[in-house]
Amino acid sequence: MDVGDIYLIIALFLLLVSFFKDKGKTREVLKVVYKTTLTVFPVLFMIFILMGTISVFVSKETIAHWLGSGSGVWGILIGELVGAFALVQPAAVFPFSGMLLNKGASYATIFAFVSTAILIGVSTLPAEIKFFGKRFAIVRNLLTFFVVFIFSIFVQLILK
Amino acid sequence: MKKIYREALTYILIGLFIWLIISIFSPSKGFEVGKVAYNAFVQSVKIIIAVFFFIGLLQVWLSSETLAKIMGKEAGWLKYLIASTIPIFIGGSLFSIFPLLSVLLEKGASYGAVLAFITAWSGKAPLIPLEIHFLGLHFTILRTVFVIPMALIVGILGEMLLEAWERRTIKVETAIEKVFEDEIKVEEEVERKVEEEERE
Repeated sequence: MDVGDIYLIIALFLLLVSFFKDKGKTREVLKVVYKTTLTVFPVLFMIFILMGTISVFVSKETIAHWLGSGSGVWGILIGELVGAFALVQPAAVFPFSGMLLNKGASYATIFAFVSTAILIGVSTLPAEIKFFGKRFAIVRNLLTFFVVFIFSIFVQLILK
Repeated sequence: MKKIYREALTYILIGLFIWLIISIFSPSKGFEVGKVAYNAFVQSVKIIIAVFFFIGLLQVWLSSETLAKIMGKEAGWLKYLIASTIPIFIGGSLFSIFPLLSVLLEKGASYGAVLAFITAWSGKAPLIPLEIHFLGLHFTILRTVFVIPMALIVGILGEMLLEAWERRTIKVETAIEKVFEDEIKVEEEVERKVEEEERE
C-alpha cells in the first residue's frame, strides 16, 4: 500500500462521514468533484506531455543554469515572470514544478514560480479590475510580486 | 457543446498535437516523451483523485460564503488573522473568489482583509498531497507556513498604499478644482469690468 492508497482511504472515509451528516451536501460534493475532474484532468494531460517534452528536449544543464541555485536573483525573477504569465491550473502547477526541480531548478525559483502562478494572473487581471477597480489590481499584483520575491530569497537561505 | 467540455477537449487535443508532432519528427523521442508523461501520471493518479475529493469536500463544507460570514462578524486584528489563515483551506480559482470578495468589500470589509484573503488562499491546503508528492515535504511545509506572513504583509501594506493613493488623488482633485474656481473668478472679474466700461 502506497501513499496514494492512504489518501484515497482518507478521502473515502471523509466522504462517508459527509454522507451520514448531510446527503444533500454530499451530492454537492460529488458535483464539485465531477466538475473539478473535468476541468483539471485535461489540463494535467497536456501538462504531463509538456513535462515529457521539456525533460526530453531541454538539458539538465540548461534548466540548472537558468533556474538553479546559481542563477540567484535572476532565477527567482524568471520564475516569477513565467508564473505570472502561465495560464495553468493550480493543480497542474505542482507536477510541472516537480519536473523542473528534478531537472536542477532551485527551491527558491520553484517557490517564486508556484506563488505567482497561483496569485498573479495576467489572464485574471481583467476580472480583477472589473470587480475591484484598477488601483486595487495594480497594488495587489505589484505588491504580491515584490513580497513573493522577498520570501523566495528566504526560501533560498533555508532550503538548499 | 458546453464550455467545460469544449475546454477539456481543447487541452487534450493540444497535448496530443504536441506529442504527434514530436513523434513524426523523431519516433524515439516521441516514445520517451510518452514514457515520462505516463510514469508521472501513474505515480500520481491516486493522489490526484484523492485531491479532487478533498477539494469537493472542503468547497462544500467550508464554503467561501461561510467564511465571509465569519469575517463579517469579527472586527479589527482578528479579521486580519482569519483572513490570513482560513482561506488556505479553500479551493477554487481566482475567478471564483473575486465575485464573493467584491460583495464583502461593498458590505464594508476593508481592503486589507480582502488582500490578505486572496494571498492566503494561495496556500491551497486541499492540494497538499499533490504538492508533497511532487515538491517534497520540506518545501510544502515552508510554503504553507510562509503564506501567512505574506498574506499579512500584502494585506497591511496594500491597504496603506491604496489609502495613500486615494488621498493623493483627492488632493490633486481639490487642487484642480481650485484652479477651475480661480479661473471662474478671473472670468467673472473680466466680465464685470467689461460691463462697467460699457455703462460708462
